[in-house]
Amino acid sequence: MNLVRTGAIYLLLGLLLFGMLFPFYVMLVTSLKPMGEVFTSPPTWLPRAPTLRSYIEVWRAIPLGRFFLNSLIIALGAAGLTLACAVPAGYALARYRFPGRSLVLYAILVTQMFSPVVVIITLFKVLTAYRMLNTYASLIVTNAAFALAFSLWMLTGFFQSVPREIEEAARIDGCTTTQAVLKVLVPLAAPGVATTVIYTFILAWNEFIFALTFISSTRMQPLTVGLASFIGRFTVEWNNLMAGSLLATLPVILLFLLVERHLVKGLSAGALK
Amino acid sequence: MLDGASGVVVTVGHAGRARFGLLRRHRTPILLLLPSLSLLGAVVAYPILDTFITAFFKTDPMGRRTAFVAFDHFRALAKDSLFRQILGQTALWTVLSVSLKTLFGLVAALVLHTGLPGMRVARLLVILPWAFSLPIAAILWRWIYDSQMGMLNLLLTTIGLTGHTWLADPGLAFGATLTVSVWTGVPFMALVFLAGLQGIPEELYEAGRIDGAGRWQEFGYLTMPLLKPTFVVATLLSAVWTFNSFVLVHVITGGGPLHATDILVTFLYKSAFEWLSFGQASAMALVTFFILLVFSVVYVRLYYREEMLSQ
Repeated sequence: MNLVRTGAIYLLLGLLLFGMLFPFYVMLVTSLKPMGEVFTSPPTWLPRAPTLRSYIEVWRAIPLGRFFLNSLIIALGAAGLTLACAVPAGYALARYRFPGRSLVLYAILVTQMFSPVVVIITLFKVLTAYRMLNTYASLIVTNAAFALAFSLWMLTGFFQSVPREIEEAARIDGCTTTQAVLKVLVPLAAPGVATTVIYTFILAWNEFIFALTFISSTRMQPLTVGLASFIGRFTVEWNNLMAGSLLATLPVILLFLLVERHLVKGLSAGALK
Repeated sequence: MLDGASGVVVTVGHAGRARFGLLRRHRTPILLLLPSLSLLGAVVAYPILDTFITAFFKTDPMGRRTAFVAFDHFRALAKDSLFRQILGQTALWTVLSVSLKTLFGLVAALVLHTGLPGMRVARLLVILPWAFSLPIAAILWRWIYDSQMGMLNLLLTTIGLTGHTWLADPGLAFGATLTVSVWTGVPFMALVFLAGLQGIPEELYEAGRIDGAGRWQEFGYLTMPLLKPTFVVATLLSAVWTFNSFVLVHVITGGGPLHATDILVTFLYKSAFEWLSFGQASAMALVTFFILLVFSVVYVRLYYREEMLSQ
């Protein structure tokens, strides 16, 4: 009986993993095929002559380096701006009692419910009027705003979990409040701060619709829009595109492995219970 | 700057002065919140307000308001059979996709929670698609669905089925795009349900076993009820995201063929940035906004009412 149950569980897992991983198999195998083999019909299950050439070729076929740089600037900028806004605000929400405090918390949460499409028309008009289209700033600011809700809730929770007394002790030792926050509270809430930064970074790195709308010059495009725009071309060099997609995802996978364990723990300890 | 939470309390009696005193008394938290609130004000609140106003105006191709038309855009939408079709497709898209994500996510979480050998690695593999951005997932699936060189048709013919032109066939494109949506959403669901399962105290199961509960009873009377808060939050978030799946549809089919895969957000976007009818698009944005708002409120209310009844 138990053997049957174990067998059934592994069978289920097998089916599930097949469904989840088949696309990656396609991605990897395609990226290892030479150009000629990509365009055969029916396709081959495995490359006849596997090659890593796509991973070199793609940097020349499309301005991948430039896309990487753009994504990096936008994602880091957004993470920085979110943090600069969320740390003081999180501190205020965690340590001060003032009228409208819970209103602020819920109003911020409600912004999570909005579709970016609802705000994009006006943002486009405003950015056009101020000649801000095709700038990093346009994407840094919008991404930061959309990451703010999560970051604020996260940091408020973490700041609340640090006992007030530690901060007061720092102040008795001669720190100003600002110093106490930056040198004592923020380091103690480091897992929360790190999660916030990584969350915003990934959100901005993966963002598509704002970049699609605000950026029209290839030189300023981030990876997401840059890669997708190459599908529209006459012949798509799928092996290069798959190699580029894998390379573009690498930073996210690395960050992801870094926080994966904390993510499950954080979720089970936090707001979802 | 961060010091001085104590402001001077102005004499009560004069309303304006009292409010001013309130502002001064809470000067520090207000100053601390200011950057966040201005950011949200500029990027979220103001654009929503502006879109609401534009919904009642005629616009030029630059998006400028030219003449007040009251409810004309909404009346036109109500009469438009294509718009009604898109509303229906959006509902179907959201309901089907979220149900399937929840089902697969729950099954994945239960399997991973058994703690059998290999499950730690399996967990990483199941949530791996989450690392891929939606545009990249969409690019990848477009290639998988390719009728000539794609590997889905290869897989199907290998196991004795026939391939299709998945994305060009109006009857198949919706299901094909929906599949991608489910694929991208399962990792989140699995992760959240796994966290929920880990939050259930082991003692409860022990107590259940002492009372002679079987595995299925355990699942029905213990696991499911205790997972319910997780379930509500996860499906609510997932429903909002799925409703907003602009990227997948835009990259995979662009809403075609013949609007077969268009949902509200992609239709709205085209209406604004391809057809340049910004007034009409703003009216649709207003509809989108209220659908999400009403949905969230009703969903959460229903849940809390049930909570109260069960107490």
